[in-house]
Amino acid sequence: MALFLGLTALPLAFGIGYSLLHSTGLAGIGSEGFTLRHWGSVLTGSEFWRSLGFSCWVAACSIGLALGLALAAVVRGPERWQRGILSWLIYLPLTLPAMVVAFLVFQTLSGAGFASRLVYRLGLTGGIEDFPNWVNDPWGVGIIAAHVLMATPFFIILFSNLYQNERLGEYAQLAATLGATARQSARRVVVPVLLRQAFPTLVLYFIFVMGSYEIPLLLGSQSPQMVSVLTIRKLQRFDLADMPQAYVIGVLYTVFVVGAVVFLLRKKSGERSLV
Amino acid sequence: MQRTIFLFTALFLVACNDSPQQPTDPATLTWEQTLQQAQGSTVHLMMWQGDPLINAYMQQYVAPAVKEQFGITLETASGQGNVIVQTLMTEMEAGKSNSELDLAWINGETFYQLRQIDALFGPWTDRLPNAQFIDFQNPFINTDFQQPVGGYECPWGNVQMAVIYNSEFVKEPPRTREALADFVKTHPGKFTFDTQFTGLTFLKSLLIDIAGGGTALHGDFDEKKYLQSSALLWDYLREIKPFLWKNGKTYPDAVAPMHQLFANGELWFTMSNNDCEVDSKVLQGLFPTTARAYVPDFGSIQNSHYMGIPKLSGNKAGAMVVANFLISPEAQFKKQDPSVWGDGTVLDLSKLPGDWKQQFENLPTRKYAQPRSELQKHALRELAPEYMIRLAKDFREQIINQ
Repeated sequence: MALFLGLTALPLAFGIGYSLLHSTGLAGIGSEGFTLRHWGSVLTGSEFWRSLGFSCWVAACSIGLALGLALAAVVRGPERWQRGILSWLIYLPLTLPAMVVAFLVFQTLSGAGFASRLVYRLGLTGGIEDFPNWVNDPWGVGIIAAHVLMATPFFIILFSNLYQNERLGEYAQLAATLGATARQSARRVVVPVLLRQAFPTLVLYFIFVMGSYEIPLLLGSQSPQMVSVLTIRKLQRFDLADMPQAYVIGVLYTVFVVGAVVFLLRKKSGERSLV
Repeated sequence: MQRTIFLFTALFLVACNDSPQQPTDPATLTWEQTLQQAQGSTVHLMMWQGDPLINAYMQQYVAPAVKEQFGITLETASGQGNVIVQTLMTEMEAGKSNSELDLAWINGETFYQLRQIDALFGPWTDRLPNAQFIDFQNPFINTDFQQPVGGYECPWGNVQMAVIYNSEFVKEPPRTREALADFVKTHPGKFTFDTQFTGLTFLKSLLIDIAGGGTALHGDFDEKKYLQSSALLWDYLREIKPFLWKNGKTYPDAVAPMHQLFANGELWFTMSNNDCEVDSKVLQGLFPTTARAYVPDFGSIQNSHYMGIPKLSGNKAGAMVVANFLISPEAQFKKQDPSVWGDGTVLDLSKLPGDWKQQFENLPTRKYAQPRSELQKHALRELAPEYMIRLAKDFREQIINQ
C-alpha cells in the first residue's frame, strides 16, 4: 500500500505542490516573489473557462456517440464479437496511436481530403469551398470523429465481455419468455446493466478524452483550444512570463478532474451498496 | 629549512601535477588544447529535426566528418526553441552541474530567452579559427533580434523569409499591402499564415510597413510606436479576416501543416523562413513545380540562425570544435547547395582563402526562388524580441479570439 501510494500519489502531490509554488511566483527561474496575479488573470479571463467547456463538450460528444454505436453493435449481435473474424479484427483499431488516427481523420475530412475529393468527383460539390468545415473547426468535429474512431472498438470489446460475464444473453432470453419484445429487453435489461457495470470505465475514458493532446493539436482550431493544448501553448510559446499561467491551468484542471472522479465514483459505489 | 623547502616543492609539484586533471575553463585553452580535449568526446546537439534534408546534412555529412577529423561523436536530439529553453531551465532549477546538451541550434527569440535566464556560455566565438571568415560587419549576422550576439552564439546560416505561391493559380502575386488585401478579397480561402514563428515574422513585416517601413521600428521596444502601428495592423487583418482560409476563424498551428495545405491545393500560398526552401521542397517532390517564392515590396525579415553552448555543458571544447567545423568554408559550401539544404552562408566570401569565393559563386542557382541579390533589396532587420511577444499575444486577443 505504502509502495503503491509512493509510486502514484506522491509524485502527483509533488507535481501539484511545485505547480502551486510556480503559479504563485515562489519557484522557478525569474519568479518575482509571492503574487496571485497569475491566478487572477486565469480565473477572470475567459480563455481557460472556454477551453474547459470545450474540452467537456468534445469528451461528452465523443463518449456519447461511441457509446451509442458500441451499444447498438453489441445489443444487435453480441455473439459476432465473441467468435469469428470480427472478434479479433475489432482489436486492430486499438493498436493505432492517437497521432495516426488524427492524421487519418485529417486526410479524410479536410478540405482537400478523400471525402472532399470523392464528393467533388461525384459532382456534388464545386470545389474545396463547398465542402463542410470539419477539420480545425470551432465545434471540434474532427477531434470528435477521431475520438469516436478510437473509443467505439474499445467500448464494443468492453460491452461484449460484460455481456458474456454478466450472462446477459440468458437474462434477455428470460425477459423474452416473460413476453418482452427484443427492444424492451434491450432497453430495460441489457443496456442498463451494461451501462451500470461500465460506468467507472466511462468516467475514466471521459477524463482521458478531455486531457488528450495529439488529436486536438492536429485537428483542433486555434480558438477555443482543448485544455492540454492551451497549457502547452502557455508553457512553451514565446512569452516566458506566461509560464506561471500554465501551472495555474494545470492545478485547476487536476483539481477539477480529481474532484469529478471522486464525486462520480463515490456516488456510484454509494448507489451500489444500497442495491 | 631544507625539509620545509622540500615539502613546499613537493606540494607545489603535486599541485601542478594535479591541475591538468581539473576540468579547465575552455575559454583559457589554446585551440590546440581545445582540440586535444575534444578528441574522443561526445557532443550532444539539440536541433529542430523537421526537415529531412537538414537531417541528412547533419547525419550523413557533419557527423561522419567530425568523427573522422576530430574523433568527436556527434549525437543529435530533436527539439527547438521552447524545448531547449525548457530543458536548460529545468536543469538550472534542479541544480544540475552538467547539462544534457553541449550545443543547441537557436535563433532570435530563443537567444533572448536563454540570455534572460542566463543559460548560455560565452563569449566564445572569437576563439574559433574559422570565425575570422564570418561576415561580422553584416548587421543581419552580428545582431540577433536587435541584440548584439556578443560572442554568445555562433552564426551558422542566414536566410530571408519568403512568400511561396502556386503560379498555376496566381499569375501575378500581390506586392503591396493593399494589393494583398484586394487579392485575398477576390480569392477567398486561399491565403493564411501560421500562428508560430513564420506567421509572426510575416506579421512583423506588415507592422514595419505600417510603421513607415525600413528602419521605422529599429532599436529597443517602443510601446507607443507599437500601439500605434499594431492598431492599424489589427484593422487591416480584421478587414481581410473573413476572406482568409476558414474565414480567418482558425490558422495553421505551424508551417508544416500550411505546406501540406499548399501542396494539396487547398491554399495557394505558403511561407518559409528560408528563401531557398521552395527549391528543396520542389526537388523533393513535395511542392508542385509551379511553386515560386518571392518577397513583396513591403519587404521581409532576414535573419541568421546560430549555435549556442549551454553554460552547464560538460563538453564545451567538443562543442566549440563542432561549431568551428560548421562554419568552415567546406561545411558552409555544402550547406548552401540547394540540393543539400540551400541555407545561405554567414561567411564573407571576400575573406576566404584559395578559390573558395569562386566555388561559392559557381554553386547551382536556385530555380524557383528569386535570386538572393533581388531579395536582399527588400530585406528587413529583425525587431526587438518584445515586438514578437506582443504580436503573438495581441494577435490572439484581437483576431483569433474575436
